Amino acid sequence: MATIHLPIVPPPLPQNWSAPPDSGKSISPLVERKLFPVGPAYLAHVRRKVHDLTFEAHDKHEEERNRGGSSSDEIIDDLGVGDEEEDEVLLSLDPKEWKKQDHYAVLGLSHLRYKATNDQIKIAHRKKVLKHHPDKKATIAGETNDDAFFKCIQKAMDVLTNPERRRQFDSVDPYYLSLEEDDPTAAQMKGKDSNAFFKAFGPVFEREARFSKVKPVPLLGSVDAPKEEVEGFYNFWYNFDSWRSFEYLDKEINEGSDNRDDKRYTEKKNKTERARRKREDIARLRGIVDTCLGLDPRIKRIKQEEKEARDAKKRGKAGTPQSQKAKEEEEKKRAEEEAKKKEEEEKVAREQAKKDKAAAANAAKKARRAARAAADQ
Amino acid sequence: MAQNGSADASINASSSSLPTVVGINYGNSYASIAVVSKEGLADCIANEDGERQIASAISFHGEETYIGAGAKHQLVKNAENTIIGFRNLLGRKFSEIPKDRPLVSAPVIQHPENQDEPAYKVTILQPAPKPLPTPSVTSSANTPLASKLGTPRSEPTQVERYLTVSEVNTIFIKSLIQSAEDFLGKKVEGVVIAVPSWFEEVQREALIKAAEDAGVKVLQLIDDIAAAALQSITTPASSDVKEDRTQLVIDLGSSSLSLAILSIRQGLIYPLASSSDPAIGADLIDDKLIKFFAKDFTKKTKIPLSLPVTTSSSAADKRAEAKLRLAIEHTKRTISASPGAATCSVESLKDGYDLSGTINRMRFDMEAREVYTKIAESAKNLVADAGLDLYDIDEIVYAGGTGCLPGLDQTVLDVGFNETVITPFSTGAAVGGGASDPTTILAKGAVVQAKLLAEIAGDQDLLPAFETATDHTKVKATSRTLGLIFPEEATEESSLGGQWIPVILKETALPARRICAFDVDLGKNNSGKVGFEVWEVKESIKVELVKGPPPEGGDEDEEEEPEENEEKEKLIEKDGAALTSIIVPINNGKKEKGRWKTKVSVQLVADEGGKVEITAWEVDGGEKVHKIIQT
Repeated sequence: MATIHLPIVPPPLPQNWSAPPDSGKSISPLVERKLFPVGPAYLAHVRRKVHDLTFEAHDKHEEERNRGGSSSDEIIDDLGVGDEEEDEVLLSLDPKEWKKQDHYAVLGLSHLRYKATNDQIKIAHRKKVLKHHPDKKATIAGETNDDAFFKCIQKAMDVLTNPERRRQFDSVDPYYLSLEEDDPTAAQMKGKDSNAFFKAFGPVFEREARFSKVKPVPLLGSVDAPKEEVEGFYNFWYNFDSWRSFEYLDKEINEGSDNRDDKRYTEKKNKTERARRKREDIARLRGIVDTCLGLDPRIKRIKQEEKEARDAKKRGKAGTPQSQKAKEEEEKKRAEEEAKKKEEEEKVAREQAKKDKAAAANAAKKARRAARAAADQ
Repeated sequence: MAQNGSADASINASSSSLPTVVGINYGNSYASIAVVSKEGLADCIANEDGERQIASAISFHGEETYIGAGAKHQLVKNAENTIIGFRNLLGRKFSEIPKDRPLVSAPVIQHPENQDEPAYKVTILQPAPKPLPTPSVTSSANTPLASKLGTPRSEPTQVERYLTVSEVNTIFIKSLIQSAEDFLGKKVEGVVIAVPSWFEEVQREALIKAAEDAGVKVLQLIDDIAAAALQSITTPASSDVKEDRTQLVIDLGSSSLSLAILSIRQGLIYPLASSSDPAIGADLIDDKLIKFFAKDFTKKTKIPLSLPVTTSSSAADKRAEAKLRLAIEHTKRTISASPGAATCSVESLKDGYDLSGTINRMRFDMEAREVYTKIAESAKNLVADAGLDLYDIDEIVYAGGTGCLPGLDQTVLDVGFNETVITPFSTGAAVGGGASDPTTILAKGAVVQAKLLAEIAGDQDLLPAFETATDHTKVKATSRTLGLIFPEEATEESSLGGQWIPVILKETALPARRICAFDVDLGKNNSGKVGFEVWEVKESIKVELVKGPPPEGGDEDEEEEPEENEEKEKLIEKDGAALTSIIVPINNGKKEKGRWKTKVSVQLVADEGGKVEITAWEVDGGEKVHKIIQT
């Protein structure tokens, strides 16, 4: 129930006023009446009575009911497009230079770009036309060129509603071209941590993914992606199948010229140029993937993991599974060694004894010789 | 943004999913149909003949059946096969029907088979049964070749048929529903019918039965008065109309007058007093007009014509009256619509002479004055019976085509209503299909109710509340106005001692809640609080006799007393002691032109037992202060 706003302004409280105490009186005796069972107010009255609701609870119910009713009625019809403001630069575009204009910006779709659906383009176009139609501007000022932007809008619409031409334009979308120039290089990324790597390369691949003929496109992923995912990612990107083409940048064939050779020449030139650009683009993407692979912290991790796994495997051959045997072997070895040692010791002792014996024999010999010599003297 | 819209035309899904319903004002003389328009508003529609006011008449002529205006025309030459006034006979026994009225249509007779049941006898041409189709296989017998052409249908035979009152009503309701279905292009699934409040239970049941026989579900029968009030609530005549008001409904049918004083409190309606008088009706105005034109005719043509007819009148006179009655219908409409003179022309009214007369509004009002006065007097008496003063009436609503006559409104107002009373004429909503056009208001009100019921269709908790025998209509209501008094320092003659704000008016159905918000002056120095007392007050009307200025330019000889004019004023008196008082702390006062101001909201919730809970707070998130008045 709505609040009634009264146009009454009560005066300030008098100085000497003090709130009179509650008199304890109740309101005058009630009277019995019979309502007409009609109208929304009666329905609300019955609802409160039947469901035993207070006024507040009933308000809440009504609100919910109304919301429920209105939400189904409400249709999002503008798909959230067409409300972008145009700046001066955009408004002063020359329709003759339409090839250079950013069609998405002209239609106010620069936040969507290649993601804009056909419906969104249609609605955005309608909105822009409503705003910039020359008939609307006729009243403002007598500028001769004031349908220029309108023409730009129509041109943008022409390009974006034709799927082939839109694809060509999307291939060389100036917004992304400028982004491509800022792609991270190996030199830039040197000494940066893995976070910076993902931050730098994540968007690059997201951006490039739009050219893929194959969908879905695996994206860079996160630092702890498993080996298969990382390998799948690089596999995909090394074999990237792109629909990108460069017809949009073709030099205009001089239609007026009746010189067939001239035309053919330009056509040929365009063709080679396109092929060159395509080659360059493939090379560019390959370069990006190479740089990425070179810098990918996951590759190091995976290599490390692989190495560890290998080592573990190696060690595993001599290790744990045959421990019993090994121990026995070891003990045997030790026993052998000990036996050897003993043998050696014995040998040494024997040799010593031999030596001793020899020495003793020698000494006896000497003594005998001396005794003989003494007897001779 | 909606301005672009989607390519498809938006079809309001919510309304299309609801069952199709219509509202019917089922009068004894005229009926009207209203439907819910695409915009969700009530709209009165015309039948196939372009009539918004469909005459309640059925006529049988030969193989044809005429309904509506066409049937009325049959009254002239085919009166014995034309039935009118059948609604009022619904549910009546033959012995109960008064038979003293002069007859211009098919007489009501006793049904030959059913005991004590009124019926009509009509002669119709019954089409003969279709002959058997020609056999495609020719007989192999050697007989002459049969004609390839089918046997022509034999002539229709004249038969007499007895139609019970219920059957006649069914035929008529069926035709109304048919008109609505033709207009909507959809099957009508439910109907709300407005009937006079004096309709008895038997009659209501008989009407429901007649409607069910016509193949339509009756969602509810509502009183004419309720239908008119409902329409006046849903589409107020003007923005000045308050949500809480006392309304006088004048329902002037062609054969009866119903009056009611209603208390309308935020959409809840209940009658304070009502009356109905079958002796007063628009037919009386018709009689006066007929008399006027008959005299006019006699004066011009020297042919005696005394109308209205009595039982002993000649057939020629009866026919003349039937013709004239048809013609003045148009005259009355012209008078209602334009201030100029209206014509009434009838070809060959009597003895081959034509009538071609005019009547201007003044003359018309003079003729009808007697009826107007009767109505105004009844209204005055009713107000007095209800224990109210004419000044207590805030709004007057008319129902029925006669309500379109500006002269009636003028006469009623002259009885002594407040100048500020809202009538369809004061707001300009009376004519041209305005919100409170008396000719369509009943049907519109009925369809508003039908729409409401369609929305809750299937809700078994709520639907019983709209049946005749429901306890939900019984309510307790306040008997005194409850309001706030903001004390004031220097009060002159005001006995209240401050600013009075009525919140819950007397005759408000409980439970009730009112929230009001207003700016409060805090004075030059912010006092930081707002205080007020809660009072119940006695309301009365002070009547002062003021001597009017002496009549200007009057003859010196005539020593006339200067006229005494009654001047009325609404008087409010405190009674006993304040119920309670509240002080609201103010934290967000704003200084404007040297004075502190803020906005305060006060909510009063009165429950069924009469316990009142008062909550007051400063609008910008101030602390809430509660007080309760116990029962």
